Amino acid sequence: MVNLMELKTVAQKEVKMDDTAREKSLLEISAIIAVRNMENEIEEYYHSLKLILDDTGKSYEIILVDDASDDHTYGKMVKMAKGDKRLHLIKMRSPFGESSAFEAGFKLSCGEHIIFYTARVRPNAKQLPSFLKKLDEGYDLVVGWRSPRSDPGINQIISRAFNFIVDKLSNLNLHDVNSGIFVTRRDVLDNLQIYGGLNRFIPVIAQKQGYKIVEEKIEQLKGSFEKSWFLSEYLRRMLDILTVIFLTKYSKKPIHFLGFLGGILTVVGGIIDLYLFFYRILGFGSIAGRPLLLLGALLLVIGVQMIAMGLIGEMIIFTHAGDIKEYNIEEILE
Amino acid sequence: MNRKENSRRIDLSVVVPLYNEEENVNILHERIFSVLDKIDKTYEIVYVDDGSSDRTYPLLKKIHDESKYVKVIKFRGNFGQSAAMSAGFDAAQGDVVVAMDGDLQNDPVDIPRMLDKLEEGYDLVSGWRKNRKDKLIIRKIPSKIANKIICSVTRVKLHDTGCSLKAFRSEIIKRINLYGELHRFIPALARIEGARISEMVVSHHSRKYGESKYNITRTFRVITDLTAMNLFMKYLKNPLRFFGRIGVLFIFFGIISSLWILYRIYLFDKPLIDINILLTSVFLFIATGFQFIVWGLLADLIVKTGKRKSLYLTEEKPINGKSFMKTK
Repeated sequence: MVNLMELKTVAQKEVKMDDTAREKSLLEISAIIAVRNMENEIEEYYHSLKLILDDTGKSYEIILVDDASDDHTYGKMVKMAKGDKRLHLIKMRSPFGESSAFEAGFKLSCGEHIIFYTARVRPNAKQLPSFLKKLDEGYDLVVGWRSPRSDPGINQIISRAFNFIVDKLSNLNLHDVNSGIFVTRRDVLDNLQIYGGLNRFIPVIAQKQGYKIVEEKIEQLKGSFEKSWFLSEYLRRMLDILTVIFLTKYSKKPIHFLGFLGGILTVVGGIIDLYLFFYRILGFGSIAGRPLLLLGALLLVIGVQMIAMGLIGEMIIFTHAGDIKEYNIEEILE
Repeated sequence: MNRKENSRRIDLSVVVPLYNEEENVNILHERIFSVLDKIDKTYEIVYVDDGSSDRTYPLLKKIHDESKYVKVIKFRGNFGQSAAMSAGFDAAQGDVVVAMDGDLQNDPVDIPRMLDKLEEGYDLVSGWRKNRKDKLIIRKIPSKIANKIICSVTRVKLHDTGCSLKAFRSEIIKRINLYGELHRFIPALARIEGARISEMVVSHHSRKYGESKYNITRTFRVITDLTAMNLFMKYLKNPLRFFGRIGVLFIFFGIISSLWILYRIYLFDKPLIDINILLTSVFLFIATGFQFIVWGLLADLIVKTGKRKSLYLTEEKPINGKSFMKTK
């Protein structure tokens, strides 16, 4: 079930768990929380979460993943873990980001239901039971909708614009795709094949796989937030949007996407150069000094390159098609 | 069923993808069953429900409970015909696999004859709807045109590649990976695997219930798929030949143009500035040419490190050797 060797390479040391007990019994809930630089709040936050989970009356574990905090967060976590067998800690060697934290936490976890969020989002844990209830109602994935929000205005603006675009592209009809708060079942995540950083797009991928997705409001607690002022943040979001387009529309057929773009460029470039060709042949004048010639050649070259890249992509997929499962089976009757 | 009787060897699997076919399911099963029950072969029927929103699945469930040798696969969502067929093929355990549509337009009565044809030494027998019972303008003509194009590009000569009723030897179909909309090119994909392909006239009925679900509407996608298919058919073993040729062409063109420029500069004493832009585009072409050659190498690498290690298929059994026909 849990591959210890693998974990050691992923998360390195300090995996506290009662192996035999864990492997024997599947727990009902695993809460995986990514933490970074929260030495002042972590204890309080953890205790409130614990209270809530105790109240549900279900068996649970809490996995705190410290994404290489610079402060004393991890030290506090170790202290907390001494008094609680149901708390498991993972410490990353250096900040690998939310996705890796989630991956490491998920590998260690053994609960049937998975709760995941980043502590810096500060969701009010009191509302988590209603998420779990949604799963019992038959939904496969519950996405948190931060409402009311209390993070800085600039973050809200960026994330709203992002949500709007993703929503339009994917027909998800969610208010807050990128809240980073998910509650789902283990088998859903096992099926989704999420790799490198794709956990931000769990709702998009899950929808494509035919899972039933619903959102649930969750209050955001007050506190200090990192502001997203940086240019890299915007760039990341823009690339994320490209990923969403690719995931929803063309993931298995790169030639449809690149061939389309490349085809347009090739045609435009071809028309320009043909025009210049006849211009010269029919004796209207010299074309060597015209920048238009260069533009035509450039478009042609880029277009042809894109098509060729699409073909290479297609080859990659064709030769690895044995691994691709484009469908998701709900039930087999034999 | 098969798990319970592990010793049961299956001669024939019939794979039927279904999407919102509630009116047809029961009649379909009756027809298939009545045909298969008469032939002296062990068989199974694999129904794949491609995320139907109507009562198709409950009806299939009932069929599964009431009859023997029926396997039902239910998808979580609608993933398309290629996905449904590939799930069915993955699950099929028969030595021969027959695929057909669930809309009652194909007639299972043709299956025994197709099996006979396979026995003659073919790996794939495709149906040919000679007397097609469909609307002329919206179905028959586009399908004819598509067939012509697909045949000429893939160079698999069939009268009707679009016919869903097809019979395969399992070692061929298990090697084919269907994704995207590749179900349209099954004969071409089989040819890549070295299949011997034949066709036979099958009966065709007009549609009684429900709407036609799968149409060729996305022309652009079909064209790009065709381009890729064409490439795969010719160059899958050696993509460098394809990319290399284009690259050399680009470089050749660039060199000719640059010679022309040199000639103009030194013999006619034209100033370089006059042909500056021409020069730049020459560089562009040469650079692209080299890029293509490098991509060819890259593509070679991809194909050769890919999962499909053997790009060939041997005859039945090597004489005095172990059989390596077995797939997976």
